[in-house]
Amino acid sequence: MFTLLRQLDTLRRGAALQRDGRRWMAIRHVDAGSCNGCEHELGLLTTPLHDIQRHGLDIVASPRHADILLVTGPVTHHMATPLRTAYQAMPTPRLVAALGDCALGCNVLGDRTQFVGRLEDVLPVDIRIPGCPPDPATIAATLLTALAELRVQPRS
Amino acid sequence: MTIVEQIDPDRLRAAVSTALADGARFSSAWATAERGWRIALNSDGHQTRVLSCKVPPHGVVDSIIELAGAAVWDEREAHDLYALPFAGHEPLRALVRHPAELSAWTTPVRGDGVHQVAVGPIHAGVIESGHFRFHCVGDQILALDTRLFHKHRGLERAAEGHAPQDALAHVARACAACSVANSVAYALAAEDALGLTSGGELARQRTVLLELERTYNHLHDIGAICAGVGFAAGAMGFAALKDRAQELCRAAFGHRFLFGAVAVGDGPCALEGLSLEALRAGLRELRTDATAAWRDLEFAASLQARLDGIGLLDRTAALRLGVVGPAARAAGVAIDARVGHPHLTTAGIEPAALSHPDGDVAARLKIRAAELIVTWDLLDELLSRPLERCRTVASRAPSAIGIGRTESPRGESVCAVELAGGRVARVHLRTGSYANWPAVAAAAAGNQLPDFPLINKSFELCYACADR
Repeated sequence: MFTLLRQLDTLRRGAALQRDGRRWMAIRHVDAGSCNGCEHELGLLTTPLHDIQRHGLDIVASPRHADILLVTGPVTHHMATPLRTAYQAMPTPRLVAALGDCALGCNVLGDRTQFVGRLEDVLPVDIRIPGCPPDPATIAATLLTALAELRVQPRS
Repeated sequence: MTIVEQIDPDRLRAAVSTALADGARFSSAWATAERGWRIALNSDGHQTRVLSCKVPPHGVVDSIIELAGAAVWDEREAHDLYALPFAGHEPLRALVRHPAELSAWTTPVRGDGVHQVAVGPIHAGVIESGHFRFHCVGDQILALDTRLFHKHRGLERAAEGHAPQDALAHVARACAACSVANSVAYALAAEDALGLTSGGELARQRTVLLELERTYNHLHDIGAICAGVGFAAGAMGFAALKDRAQELCRAAFGHRFLFGAVAVGDGPCALEGLSLEALRAGLRELRTDATAAWRDLEFAASLQARLDGIGLLDRTAALRLGVVGPAARAAGVAIDARVGHPHLTTAGIEPAALSHPDGDVAARLKIRAAELIVTWDLLDELLSRPLERCRTVASRAPSAIGIGRTESPRGESVCAVELAGGRVARVHLRTGSYANWPAVAAAAAGNQLPDFPLINKSFELCYACADR
């Protein structure tokens, strides 16, 4: 156990981003048809190297507890309704973030007839995080920069 | 080279039965737009025989699910996407389509106190989308119906009509975490159809990519099992190790998931500036740390006490369902597509085996740690000399159907490519995740509902790989 814990300590000390104690926002992730790349990278955000909790962000289990809906993938027909249901379950004010090129409607692979359209056509998108997939550090930096620029005024 | 046999639909079932009796294994099956139905059977390691038939406009084809339990999903998919009717597959439930009525896709479960628990498609963590419907009495799971294909993107259809190299992108994005395995399977299938053969150098480079993918995935999967019992130190530690493995992939080949490193007829394009020594040294350091971390897990009583006897999938069930990959090997079924592979540098590999292949969560955790040792050794040897530019060579006449097989971190990935006029007429990808999803449902039955996340994590299958 000591090896593991020591490794986590080293990582935590080595993390580059500065602490920002001015906000606390909760993220709910929805996979609307991704290739699982964005999920793998997003999952690393809450590990010690990236540790977004230190920057006032966390990933939560229910959209009812979330300020930000973070969506990956192009929106497939089967996921359009669950995606809208998750958005409707969120308290207002709320934000929508598009994670990865597919969610942004760029270079989407697959049969167009299987998608309802870009995320933008389904929900109002406030934050854009490009990449295929963006790495964990890029996701964290882009989210934090976008939130700073938005001055945390979520859509009502 | 793949052997293709045209056969009358009436004789298909008997032909499959004879082949299986002769020791062949069901490998894949796919339908085509012209009511074609193909069944790929594998024998002597890597010899693939495709039985191909054309189903008349109002005709039916005999189901083979009683001969090969692994074909259940393949037939359901062909029925949903290509409207092929199967005689003897009763009930032929929807798989890719999502009809509203429950009876169209769930097992009927009756009795006192039986209730259903619906989970998903959106799950509580950062997980892919898919729906589970548990039939329970109290906390005990009687049966589980999985409804996947929420992420069906029509990737196979989208690949049709493209030149073989251009269609690769659609196959590669079926799944990020198995992208190398699926891409190499596709490249081998396309090369098989084009009559191209890869030499030893290309085989070595593709093996390096495949084993790097296995490295970060197995580290990830060990961490995921720790997360499944709420053992945070293990989950975080192995996630950090996986992150380091992916950074090594980026430093060496330019991408954390090795996207773009596989090509049809060609080696990885980004060899310039590649420091093999740095990659080899990085892997050795990673191995040291991962070995120490694994030792910590072996002595972590609160983790170990949760694994034995949970999510049992014994050898008989694994064989009946056609289970592949670590899940099969953890149940004592010694199959690994790497063994004897004619186009990869793994022909002489001895896959890891457990002294007690119990087929439970504990065994599926241990097999991954054991397989990592084989992979570390293999990579160290493969990276001992510089990579050189290499290409495939034309060695024989093109054929209509090509098959490629690889061992992804989740099991055998079989890709079939049909060419017409130099373009892809049909591509079908049958991944380890696709093969193993029915086993997750089988392993969950009889367990406590709160143990399902752990059982699920011990298989750690991709939804994207299955849904395509």
